Amino acid sequence: MEEFPPAPGVAGTSLDGTKNFTITAEENAALCKSTGVEPAADGTAHPIYYYIATQVAMGKTVAGVCETCEFDVDDGPMMGSSGVRFTEQLIVGQAYKVTGEILSLVRKKSRKLGVMDVLTYRLRLHPADGGDAVLETDNVWVLPRKELAA
Amino acid sequence: MSSPDKPNVGDTLPPFVIDTVSPDAMRDWSVFLADPNPIHLDVEVVKAKGLGDKRINQGPINVAYMMNMLTTAFPGCRIESMDSRFLDNVYEGDRATASGEVTSVEGNRVSCDIKLEVDGRGTVNAGTATILI
Repeated sequence: MEEFPPAPGVAGTSLDGTKNFTITAEENAALCKSTGVEPAADGTAHPIYYYIATQVAMGKTVAGVCETCEFDVDDGPMMGSSGVRFTEQLIVGQAYKVTGEILSLVRKKSRKLGVMDVLTYRLRLHPADGGDAVLETDNVWVLPRKELAA
Repeated sequence: MSSPDKPNVGDTLPPFVIDTVSPDAMRDWSVFLADPNPIHLDVEVVKAKGLGDKRINQGPINVAYMMNMLTTAFPGCRIESMDSRFLDNVYEGDRATASGEVTSVEGNRVSCDIKLEVDGRGTVNAGTATILI
């Protein structure tokens, strides 16, 4: 029997964004260069914008997501995994908006990290003027619960 | 790999190498991500948190390296899906190599195992990807 309290019940919390996100040609070029490639000549953006656009334009900041999970961002959330399914390529100059939600927050104990909460959330990126999502991403963060360490 | 146009199961993809992970890129990405976490910006913070003595690359940059490996191996391809697990940190100054191996080919849909390794510490990211060529 585990001896720590359950994780906060945050599943279902909306992460719908309220602002649009537009990939600019200048930023896309700088981002591509920073990773060692040239920007595409066909107007598509680097696919890693799946992560950037959804994080920046979701309805909470990173610190805000952590706060929802009753976790201090200064305690160091860690990325566990990230997955994405594209239905369209991302386009420079296109305005996008984000919908999404927290799927689960599960408290676990690991030999390496001690007590931790495993946060899974899903975000979708849509054209700002409407239409189906161009991508869906599931991200998993690990939130070490130092205060619950033995 | 035998040919970028006709991949076969078992083909290894040409590696994509970052010779030196740059703290300047981390600074840029803190802006891209709107996330000024100091472990990516300030060595003293990294030390104070007991995370080592070098700035830590943002996780999504490591994913971008693996995406670059795929799009360089298959020019003009489109990534349909990708999943990766973060197994260890990448630090400033690391030499990082993204690589992959074809696991299935169905028409123009190619699935691959992918990974990112750093010299001296092995695999830091690993996952799968499906691309349309």
